[in-house]
Amino acid sequence: MATTLRRLSRVLGWWLVMCIASLPVWGILFGLWPDEDTSIADLSRLLAYQGLGLSLSQSMFSALFSSLVSLYLAFLIYSQYQSHSKVGGPWLEKYLSPLLSLPHLAIALGLVFLFSESGVFFVNGDIGLPRKGLSTFIMAIIIKEVPFFLLILIAVGRQLPLHGWLLQGRALGYDISTSWWLLVFPNMLKQMRLALLAASAYTLSVVDMNLLVGPNIPELFAVSVYRWQGSFSEGDQALGFWANVLLLVLLAVSIIFLYCHEKLAIKVLQHWTVLGRRIRLGFVDTLGQVWLPASGLLILLMVLVFTLWSLGFNWRSDTFSLRNLNTHLWQDEWLFVALPLQNALLIGVSAAILGIMFTLLALELQRQKGRYLPDYIWLLGILLPQLSMVLGWQVSHIWLEGGYHSGWVVFAHFPFTFGYAYLVLKGPFQSIDANYELIAASFGYSPWQRWWKIRFRLLFPATLSAFAITFAVSIAQYIPTLMIGAGRVTTITTEAVAIGTGSQQDVAALYILLQSLLPLAAFLITALLSSRVAGPKHSTLEISRC
Amino acid sequence: MLSIKNCLIDSETWQIRFPDMQLDPDDLLVIIGPSGIGKSTLLHWLLGNQPKHVNISGQVLIDDQDVSQLAVENRHIGLLMQDVFLFPHLSVEDNISFALPKSPDLNSKKQRRTKAHSMLEQINLEHLGKRYPQSLSGGERSRVGLVRALANQPKVMLLDEPFAALDPSNREKIGKWTFQQLAQQAIPSIMVTHDLKDIPIFAKQLNLADYYQSKETP
Repeated sequence: MATTLRRLSRVLGWWLVMCIASLPVWGILFGLWPDEDTSIADLSRLLAYQGLGLSLSQSMFSALFSSLVSLYLAFLIYSQYQSHSKVGGPWLEKYLSPLLSLPHLAIALGLVFLFSESGVFFVNGDIGLPRKGLSTFIMAIIIKEVPFFLLILIAVGRQLPLHGWLLQGRALGYDISTSWWLLVFPNMLKQMRLALLAASAYTLSVVDMNLLVGPNIPELFAVSVYRWQGSFSEGDQALGFWANVLLLVLLAVSIIFLYCHEKLAIKVLQHWTVLGRRIRLGFVDTLGQVWLPASGLLILLMVLVFTLWSLGFNWRSDTFSLRNLNTHLWQDEWLFVALPLQNALLIGVSAAILGIMFTLLALELQRQKGRYLPDYIWLLGILLPQLSMVLGWQVSHIWLEGGYHSGWVVFAHFPFTFGYAYLVLKGPFQSIDANYELIAASFGYSPWQRWWKIRFRLLFPATLSAFAITFAVSIAQYIPTLMIGAGRVTTITTEAVAIGTGSQQDVAALYILLQSLLPLAAFLITALLSSRVAGPKHSTLEISRC
Repeated sequence: MLSIKNCLIDSETWQIRFPDMQLDPDDLLVIIGPSGIGKSTLLHWLLGNQPKHVNISGQVLIDDQDVSQLAVENRHIGLLMQDVFLFPHLSVEDNISFALPKSPDLNSKKQRRTKAHSMLEQINLEHLGKRYPQSLSGGERSRVGLVRALANQPKVMLLDEPFAALDPSNREKIGKWTFQQLAQQAIPSIMVTHDLKDIPIFAKQLNLADYYQSKETP
């Protein structure tokens, strides 16, 4: 009886986790199901759309350029910090936490507040970043993606004998920088495929950042897709359908491009390796050393500027004085901001806990089976374009006549928190020595007791990190919240985008500041808790991209 | 020729004053001693890879030239460890090509690969040239590791328990072959080992424990 029950619960567990893992695919498939008649004529209408070519090429360029630049920069930083091992490793991870906790939106708007033509550093000037433009968009993406790639490099680096390779490289007469690029990079690049794909899929389909700082004429393709999908005008739904198909084609092209890039990069480096060429990067090496401190400083400046704006300080008209600061805006806006904050908190905590719970279930089931499925199966939520996925969920949600409440929004955030939780927890979960549980078994503990008292206990610090990261991921979700909540469930992020696209800088600063404070608070609290809990310290946060 | 002078390994609780030493081209010095006494640490210091847990001071001279202040890559000292760290993204031939020094007659990819191939041929391992490290056996890996190290034309060779991962039959065979290669190329070598069976008869021996001094008062 007990065996049958155990087998049944295992089957049910597999069924559940496979349903969750396949939600993104269902989203894409449902999204590709046209809800009105479409024809090739509609496709021709889309292809003839004014500015489409430029919009598509700019979208592709921004996705590939920002992902690749972020990867190369991250590797440069990683190699520099690891070469100076006194400050590498865990130190690097701790340093990255605040960089990771700041949402994309905050970085985008922070860049505008600081460096746009009317920003702090260019007040009344006509130089600086455009308020809305491709360069601002790409720069914000790069600043945010570099820490994401760095954390994946740290996780990948732990599994490779870097020290041995580098030592051999140096013993054979190569300097440390050449050894990193010729011996380590080709091996790491192969393992960065999914991360590169996730980053480029994100940039291809991100809407909130585009609305805030992306170019206007023409707008990037994701914004057009979103507009057509949500439009009630005749024919726009058909355009939305074909645009969605085109978005998937763009993703396929980016996969091919990234694959070719990988092959080419490895080929070139291999050619140099055989020739025994030395790589001199000169000033670029210095960039690797200064990037993180500079990003840290930049983020501090952003938070400071948001705070000052929200306290009534106007850069363009005021001279700095503490007497000019007041809390009027905070008091006036609190009435409007309280509910979105509360919603964001509730949805974030629920989605994060759900994501972690089901990740642990997926990992445990695979462990029991003795075989782990390929990562991409579990990470589809972050590898496929969000816009196409969420459209399918929206169609299913309407079809199921689901109501507009926080529960559905939690459900829409769940595949993303699940994906990130899996990325963070897989390494620590696999690294726990099975002998611990074997010893507990010899003391008479049941399988469930062993799991709870030993495995989960050892995994607890990593779980706390996973919570901080998935909470930040949920807080930053815009499209799933808006499309599934249909505007009736507002969070601090949906409000921040709505206000950020307007012209009230002070209110925008207040909302973005609040949006940033939530994940930052989660990171700080979990870091504090983590430091008080014994466990494998190496299993701290590994990957996040909010 | 390798000379080591005034070498002091200093930790918080103990120190080892290593005797001044001179190794001629065909000399092999084998360092033995209990685990944790600093055998591998000493090798890494000689290589130029400064250890973090102890302070080591002293002078390392190669052909009467002081290399103590030089970085690892400028010392011309080869290193062979238990794991030979063949680079997994390169074929055996390319692993060796990577190690070949720069010279006018080794300028093109083709020349370097041909040279690597001929080095493998000399020891009847040419059939491994196109293979990748993952597909090699432990013994093959050790031999390719040594060929790669020798391809770099080191002036000194350091061997850190190079045969520890091999099974007993391979261990003896590859050990003999390794010392033969080193002797043929007249490279002064230092080997660290736990296993007395690894030590060839002609080697000089030094037990690090004989120079160990505790700093703790009883």
